[in-house]
Amino acid sequence: MTEPRDPRPGRRFTLEEPPHDRPRADDPRPAEPFDADLPSQALSSPDDQAAADALEACLAPPRRRRWGLLALLGGSLGLGALEAGLTLQAASLGGDWLAGAWSLLLLLALGLGGRALLRELWRLRRLRRHERLRERLAALPDAETRAAMASAEALREGLGMDEDHPHWQGFVAARQAHHDGRDIQLLLDHHLLAPRDREARRLISRMSGETAVMVAVSPLTLVDMALVAWRSLAMIDRLCRLYGLELGYAGRLRLLRSVLYQMAFAGATEMAGEAGMDMLSLNLAGRISARAGQGLGIGLLSARLGLRTQRLTRPLPFTTQEAPRMSDLRSELWQQLRRLEARDSPDARR
Amino acid sequence: MRQPLARELHDLIERGRDRQLRLAVTGLSRSGKTAFLTSLVNQLRHVGLEARLDLLPAARQGRLLGARRVNQQDLGVPRFPYDQAMAALAETPPRWPEPTRGISELRLVLRYRPAKRGWLGSESRQLTLDLFDYPGEWLLDLPLLAHDYPSWCRSQEALAGEQRRAHFAAWHTAVEALDPAAEADEAHLAEIAEHYAEGLRAAREAGFADLQPGRFLLPGDLAGAPVLQFFPLPAVAEADPGALATLPPESNYATLARRFAYYQQHIVKPFYRDHFRRFDRQIVLVDLLGALNAGPERFQDLSRALANLMQSFDYGKRSLLSRLFAPRIDRLAIAATKADHVTPEQHPRLVALLEALLAEPLKDLRFASVPVRALSLAAIRASEAREVEHRGQRTPALRGTGLDGEPLLLYPGEVPERLPDDAFWARQGFAYPAFRPLTLEGGALPHIRMDAALDWLIGDKLI
Repeated sequence: MTEPRDPRPGRRFTLEEPPHDRPRADDPRPAEPFDADLPSQALSSPDDQAAADALEACLAPPRRRRWGLLALLGGSLGLGALEAGLTLQAASLGGDWLAGAWSLLLLLALGLGGRALLRELWRLRRLRRHERLRERLAALPDAETRAAMASAEALREGLGMDEDHPHWQGFVAARQAHHDGRDIQLLLDHHLLAPRDREARRLISRMSGETAVMVAVSPLTLVDMALVAWRSLAMIDRLCRLYGLELGYAGRLRLLRSVLYQMAFAGATEMAGEAGMDMLSLNLAGRISARAGQGLGIGLLSARLGLRTQRLTRPLPFTTQEAPRMSDLRSELWQQLRRLEARDSPDARR
Repeated sequence: MRQPLARELHDLIERGRDRQLRLAVTGLSRSGKTAFLTSLVNQLRHVGLEARLDLLPAARQGRLLGARRVNQQDLGVPRFPYDQAMAALAETPPRWPEPTRGISELRLVLRYRPAKRGWLGSESRQLTLDLFDYPGEWLLDLPLLAHDYPSWCRSQEALAGEQRRAHFAAWHTAVEALDPAAEADEAHLAEIAEHYAEGLRAAREAGFADLQPGRFLLPGDLAGAPVLQFFPLPAVAEADPGALATLPPESNYATLARRFAYYQQHIVKPFYRDHFRRFDRQIVLVDLLGALNAGPERFQDLSRALANLMQSFDYGKRSLLSRLFAPRIDRLAIAATKADHVTPEQHPRLVALLEALLAEPLKDLRFASVPVRALSLAAIRASEAREVEHRGQRTPALRGTGLDGEPLLLYPGEVPERLPDDAFWARQGFAYPAFRPLTLEGGALPHIRMDAALDWLIGDKLI
């Protein structure tokens, strides 16, 4: 039998003071007072701009500098000129006139080629300048008045207006000393660009209508294709000139590429939204005749190309309300084809 | 009786079609209401001809055809004295229009071509704009409606700043001797009320804004009536409300409370009901530069007065029903007036200061989801922005004529983005100049951003 055990007596523990002097590695960092006079600067924000730039650099298609191609072109031009010059000299000394004439001809050809190349480069530079102008104008709302006026002058020169042009005069009359960058942007949009927009819209409507009619009446598919390509390129060219942009061959290619890119990606949603309307009008046109249906389809495509080009080349981006829309152009196209059919059908009956 | 009903019905239909707008031009005294209305009528009258309203899209696109004054609906209210104001501006030398001393109305019919023609739309459409002018002093009676007599006494007691108290010294000594429980002596009360009114007038001269009751400053036809013979009792602020309620009806306290209630019910309420309930749009004009000139205490005073004031209006989204039966303000502009008294590059700072001043009411408006735009404007521009070469540096400057006729060319000084601290006021302070209007050269009045204000207030109805 075991004796009943006494309850365990109480026992006091001493609270062990944690050592103050030696903070452990995982402790939170203790407070640390500074002298109030110590110079301090604003907390630097995380480098957003650099991150955004890096991201953009990642996402953008790699920029290929065609150094090899350039070296090849420049080298062959230079070496060819040297060779031709030497031959010419030798020929003049040796009296070999035929070889001299050939080398002269070669020199001429090289000169022409070089000039074309230089002009192409020059026009590419103009395209880049136009892009810079677009950036400047887009930044107008934050700009100071003086800088904003400088941008306005640049736009005037870009559009090829002189000081006495009525549109520019209208802008100058409307401008007041208290207008800030945003107001100036509004005024530029209204006084300088709106008239060009109206002209561009007329141009797109007319040319896409004509393309539609031509496709509807032409008998051969091959001719159709050539026609559409030629007319579309011509339309892009004229739209660019309207907004103060002169295109070389490479510039045109680049613009066409970005227009098609825009149409394929950015324009896809818009197209999907309007597809129903397009189908309906095609269906209606198909009732009249298959050829009219074809013409309308091509006309719509051409008008869409025109609108995209306009959106890409306009120095100031459109605001959402005033951007020209397909629906306005569609009815005009439809009217043109209807007129054609109405003229066509009595002949067919006879 | 038949005709008013027909007119009401016509208005109701017009409101239902959203072809009628009632614009509240709100501002304390000397904030430029009369100048704003004069300029507004003038600009709209000259639209498409000489007026430069380039920031108003309908005018820029040439769709706004013009405006005409028509007879207002309430024949008992005087017409807004536009012609007198224009005559004052056309005098040689030109002078500012007389301050408003009574209520007046104005109805404008705007005619415009819609940007897109609707199904039933005709070639041109009309928009009726109702405007209304009143003394800014009376405006501060509106917050009075939220008080009873004891709470009003307490709120007035809380106002007392040092400089403000100085103007009321005579009243203070008189009212201190007055026992709320004693029997009322008509003549004595009238005397103290006169001291109070004098104090209010002196404070207004010194640039204070938060002055109640407003009729004491501009009594109109009520001068001398007992209803204008009351004042706050400082003793009430500490007294027990229960004990006050048991005071006999002939006591000083009960007499003053009765007059206060009468003032509320028979003067402020009708004013509010007849003129301030039915508004669709509002612009609040604030003379910031004047307040800065006057000093920090008056600036705080202005801020408080405006905050109180803006609680008296109904804000909210409109629907068809609310448009017809309970109109609410669905769009608001707050404007710092007299922007022509500083150089143009200071205008953004002026707007920032205005937003800082109205920060509290703006939060409430944001909560009510009412779109607000802050801008700086000069309804009648009185100076010309120039640039001078001074000590080898180009600096902006203003050219105009002072009130007493001497030509001025000066840089008026910067506007602070927020209210500066006390040390700055002691050190420097502000001294913006006053200009008299430019000589009128035919055509429309020159202005700064009247077009932007118009665009915000009525532009969406001119589409």
